[in-house]
Amino acid sequence: MSAIDVFEPFHRGLPPLKKYTKQLFGRRAFIAEFAKSELRRQNFGSPLGQIWLVLNPLLLSAVYFLLIIIISGHTDSTRYAHLTAGLFAFYMITNSITAGAKSITAGGRLILNSAFPRIMLPIAASVVALFKFIPTLIVLFAIHIILGLPITPALFWAIPLIFIFYIFSLACAILFSCINVYFRDTQNLLPYLTRTLLYLSPVLYESSALTEKLSILKTINPLYPMLDSWSRVMVKGELPFATDVFQSLIWTLALLAISSYLFLSREREFAVRI
Amino acid sequence: MSSLSASNLNSHNRGEVAVSIKSLNVVYKTTLEKRPTLKNRLLQFSSGNKQTRIVNAVQDFNLDVSYGSVLGVVGANGAGKSTLMRSISGILPPTTGRIELYGSVSTLLALGVGFSQEMTGRDNVILGGLAAGLSRSDINNKFDEIVDFAELREVIDAPMRTYSSGMYARLAFAVAVTVEPDILIIDEALSTGDAHFKMKSLNRVKELRGHNRALILVSHALATIEEVCNEVIWLNKGKLIQKGDPVSVVAAYKKFLEVGSSPMIDEDV
Repeated sequence: MSAIDVFEPFHRGLPPLKKYTKQLFGRRAFIAEFAKSELRRQNFGSPLGQIWLVLNPLLLSAVYFLLIIIISGHTDSTRYAHLTAGLFAFYMITNSITAGAKSITAGGRLILNSAFPRIMLPIAASVVALFKFIPTLIVLFAIHIILGLPITPALFWAIPLIFIFYIFSLACAILFSCINVYFRDTQNLLPYLTRTLLYLSPVLYESSALTEKLSILKTINPLYPMLDSWSRVMVKGELPFATDVFQSLIWTLALLAISSYLFLSREREFAVRI
Repeated sequence: MSSLSASNLNSHNRGEVAVSIKSLNVVYKTTLEKRPTLKNRLLQFSSGNKQTRIVNAVQDFNLDVSYGSVLGVVGANGAGKSTLMRSISGILPPTTGRIELYGSVSTLLALGVGFSQEMTGRDNVILGGLAAGLSRSDINNKFDEIVDFAELREVIDAPMRTYSSGMYARLAFAVAVTVEPDILIIDEALSTGDAHFKMKSLNRVKELRGHNRALILVSHALATIEEVCNEVIWLNKGKLIQKGDPVSVVAAYKKFLEVGSSPMIDEDV
């Protein structure tokens, strides 16, 4: 009789990746069920909850729009579309970071009592953030029509860009879920981090407004090329710059590789650290 | 990590090996702080204090558990019992050595079932089952049985934060035994709940033993260990001190508890 399961020491601190991936794929139903339960728990299962899901970022964009009018003294409808599109995408990433950071520490009982690929917890958290983002696309579409923004084939670029946003959000969720196990006050620092990231990204301002002095932001902020491409596609109906898409992809894949390695090499310890 | 779904209906012959542990060592690093924070780490880094300690939780451990048997595990706090159970369950992989499982495992460890206190009992049962590797249809098929066994039908759709500790324990036990695992690990979970449920749980354990499952039972309730188990191991500071029939091992362990030392431990040192 051959063994159904064998547990051996991790090679170079990593679990056997083939077996791990197979187990992760086998538990995809957990990710879908978790997302549904979590959205239901946050009352997004009800019609009023779904309205709030859209109303919340919309109100937020109205507040920032007011701020822009007060500071700059003038504005136009394109600016509002740019702000709304940028904020909706930005909030998918920050929602994923915030929920991801808590995902391991909040799943304490399950981690202490069940054997499963731990990475599915931050994955589930990032899927919840994606599910919250999807309804906002309807609002973006409505704004696009109402403001008479150009409808061009370049709008199809929104699909690969959302994919890049999602993978980037996932990588962030994995990274912060792991960091939060070791430093529980990470959660307290996140509001400052995300707020700083917002101001360093082309959301409240357009990329063209950036002075030469600050152009370094385009290179050091991974969200810069992503959000700039998003605005070009969603607001101007123009193709994104190839260099921006390439840069976004490199940032995303590098962050995913680093955060996954960090997570997998540490996850053995989670059961004794929680 | 084992799947519970495929082999639930497997039949096993009494005496067939269910779990084989070879030269197991489990070492881990743990933090000295209850809630590790970056702030404390920075403050203590400047003062040069050490923040972590290495725990040799299980040392050079060998054991075979057979189908049709109930293995009792006794030992004082910090003996390595829970770490050993977590290793057998695949929660804490070995540092060195090897654990082979010849069947599906269900675990009922110290803190019970559940994912989130904010979610309902129903959501927790479903999510816990899916995380453990059950399919959605397996859970649906067993759901009513779990709720009836736990006697929690009226509150199954209430958030789990509204449950008492006894209700929590009942649901955990019901999930663990209803999935009909080949190997069931119960760590300090039989002593929870009221007298009625305790009796019900014990009967279920005996029933599983009769069905030629393999059971590993960690408990400080030595009378229960003597009543239910066919074999008992005694752990102390991560090492296997004695293995044998329940009466003699429990007697040696009781003596150790009374006098604080034992010839076996002294020899070992």
